[in-house]
Amino acid sequence: MKRADGGAPLLEVRNLQRFFPIRKGLLRRVVGQLRAVDDISFHINRGETLALVGESGCGKTTTARCILRALKPTAGEVLFQTGAGDVVDTAALPKRALQPFRHQMQMIFQDPFSSLNPRMTVFDIIAEPLLASGIKSRDQRRQRVENLLELVRLRPEFMQRYPHAFSGGQRQRIGIARALALNPSLVVADEPVSALDVSVQAQILNLMLDLQDELGLTYLFVAHDLSVVKHISDRVAVMYVGKIVEIAETNRLFKAPKHPYTEALLSAAPKPDPRLRSQRIVLQGEVADPAQPPAGCYFHPRCAHAIDRCRSETPKLEEIQPGHVVACHRAREITLKGVDAQANGKPSA
Amino acid sequence: MAGGMLCRPYNRPVKGEMYAMNCAPILSVNNLKTYFFTDEGAVRAVDGASFAVHPGKTLGIVGESGCGKSVTALSILRIVDDPGRIVEGEIMFRRADGGEPVDLAKLDAKGGEIRAIRGGEIALVFQEPMTSFSPHYTIGNQIVETIQLHQDVGKAEARTRTIELLRMVGIPRPERRIDEYPFELSGGLRQRVMIAMALSCNPRILIADEPTTALDVTTQAQILDLLREIQERTQMSVIIITHDMGVIAEMADDVIVMYLGRVVESGPVDEIFHRPQHPYTQALLRSIPSIFAEPRTKLPTIAGSIPHPHNRPAGCPFHPRCADFMPGKCDRHEPQLRPVSASQMASCFLYHEPAEAPQQS
Ligand SMILES: Nc1ncnc2c1ncn2[C@@H]1O[C@H](COP(=O)(O)OP(=O)(O)OP(=O)(O)O)[C@@H](O)[C@H]1O
Ligand SMILES: Nc1ncnc2c1ncn2[C@@H]1O[C@H](COP(=O)(O)OP(=O)(O)O)[C@@H](O)[C@H]1O
Ligand code: SF4
Ligand code: SF4
Ligand SMILES: [Mg+2]
Ligand SMILES: [Mg+2]
Repeated sequence: MKRADGGAPLLEVRNLQRFFPIRKGLLRRVVGQLRAVDDISFHINRGETLALVGESGCGKTTTARCILRALKPTAGEVLFQTGAGDVVDTAALPKRALQPFRHQMQMIFQDPFSSLNPRMTVFDIIAEPLLASGIKSRDQRRQRVENLLELVRLRPEFMQRYPHAFSGGQRQRIGIARALALNPSLVVADEPVSALDVSVQAQILNLMLDLQDELGLTYLFVAHDLSVVKHISDRVAVMYVGKIVEIAETNRLFKAPKHPYTEALLSAAPKPDPRLRSQRIVLQGEVADPAQPPAGCYFHPRCAHAIDRCRSETPKLEEIQPGHVVACHRAREITLKGVDAQANGKPSA
Repeated sequence: MAGGMLCRPYNRPVKGEMYAMNCAPILSVNNLKTYFFTDEGAVRAVDGASFAVHPGKTLGIVGESGCGKSVTALSILRIVDDPGRIVEGEIMFRRADGGEPVDLAKLDAKGGEIRAIRGGEIALVFQEPMTSFSPHYTIGNQIVETIQLHQDVGKAEARTRTIELLRMVGIPRPERRIDEYPFELSGGLRQRVMIAMALSCNPRILIADEPTTALDVTTQAQILDLLREIQERTQMSVIIITHDMGVIAEMADDVIVMYLGRVVESGPVDEIFHRPQHPYTQALLRSIPSIFAEPRTKLPTIAGSIPHPHNRPAGCPFHPRCADFMPGKCDRHEPQLRPVSASQMASCFLYHEPAEAPQQS
């Protein structure tokens, strides 16, 4: 994969795999492998947002957890550029050796209700990583927590309260403050707004955009909602049954998708305008089972463009235009429809 | 059904009176109040909701979590759990026999009449299909039982009908699937089975409460398509409940927007999206991320968050978050749902003056 700029990416994932054993019977014997993440490669440049999208069970969270080494990859490399400027393969290092740069990668979780310990005050929640990193002075921690709360637009007086006193959006801000406590360079956000009320989602998305500008953060943004992805990301990677099927710059992916699955996803997303009804492609059948994926292209049983070759040969990710990679045998010959405000007859806002 | 033939879609204009004459609502809810009497005080889950459902049409109920959408559905079917109670209002339903409308709110919740209506004339599809099935019986058994509960048919006939229904909702190989257990099906298939069960007694109103919220977008598209297709075929009325404006735009003819137990705006779907009148509807539509947006653009936001049900603001429930808030008016009086155009209603003091006395708190 080539990069637009010359610098090394902050994160480069190469041929990442994570399988889970499938066990059956009394003896719980391993009868197969569930291919949750099945040989994926992508990179994220410093300061940009890469969105990872796809339907439930396609392997987004497993990918995120492998990158943070909350899970050990089955195979592949996770090359991370540390603060000191060298590149480490976090997939290969023993857990102990990860310690020095663990804090440089942090996570924001989906559910702001279960991800905060209800018995800890906001101060303790946010200060915990500070303490763990060796900031012994309570005054120093206090000062830092105060700054962090300001950063996420919460009042410092909230420090002594418990999570239950906060709304979902406020809790998500607390989770973000905690994730930022140790100045990470990479923030992995797994569906950070999908558990929030609609009227609160925009606040958190705006906050994430602001924080990125203010702190130069790099985001891996995991999501299933394409409208949210359109607002936040520079580039988008689409996953289907453990594989990446397409990566492109955001506008390009939405306007001119090159993979039939991307096209179907874009088309299925409900558009908040009754005048755009019944322009949808409705896919037949169901998402393939990662424990028993079909031969060839995993998408072929649902693909309107499938040919014989698709049923036997797995397509590889190929760069068909600079920065646009697709895993489809027919990517160069088929014409697909994207979403475009103009084309849909909707005046652009 | 006559209604379906005569009622035209809103986008083909019809004269006001003609519309009213031919399309007397099948269900009309007036000033419904359903409260939960908890230890910490009363939760006004539904607090004066009014709306109508027309024959062969889809009413969309949209609002954020906790605004009273589900409790509205449960109230219509009279299955509100303790400590909840309908404290005021009427739910007028025109039964299939064509007699005078009955007020469901006044029926004995355990009585024969509501039991005949529930699952028979009005059916419900929930968000989580897993919890609405018993894990111990096959899906076939459960549908057969529902059919026999409402119709005088033998077991064999009920089974044949079940297979037909499963085929109709797009279950592949229904003769085999009928003997499977709910856990053996994917989320999308379970939702289809749930719809099959709801359709088993040819309901005249189908209430679908977040029917696709737990599903992926491609499965959601399939289920929404299915609902639309069945409605076209059977001419039943549908109430679709969702927090997703996109689903409303896809499905609804008429829309009511709820906030903290109240209907803040109602009208035809096109007006709601293209000429919203209530400040909440306007702000909500602006704040939704759009698939047409330029990447990395900020969204207009609504200040604050939905208040806790025990801290309900006085006056207009939206006033602490409203950009048009008028002190002394909006925080002291409760606005009423009033017509703001020929087809739209809104509950807001931008459109009417408060009555004399401030509300009692
Ligand atoms: N610990 C585990 N053991 C066995 N299988 C697992 C485990 N974790 C995930 N899987 C399986 O791996 C696949 C990918 O799961 P993953 O959680 O990464 O999906 P996802 O894309 O994050 O989905 P969602 O949108 O539902 O969060 C799924 O089939 C899942 O059931
Ligand atoms: N069994 C119950 N006991 C107490 N409060 C309830 C109960 N069910 C619902 N409520 C409250 O009623 C309000 C409306 O709930 P609901 O209709 O479920 O909202 P939604 O619009 O999300 O479907 C909420 O404040 C909710 O907490
Ligand atoms: S490889 Fe074949 S089956 Fe797969 S997406 Fe492309 S055309 Fe469809
Ligand atoms: S009544 Fe007042 S506070 Fe309520 S929506 Fe209208 S203007 Fe806003
Ligand atoms: Mg996940
Ligand atoms: Mg609900």
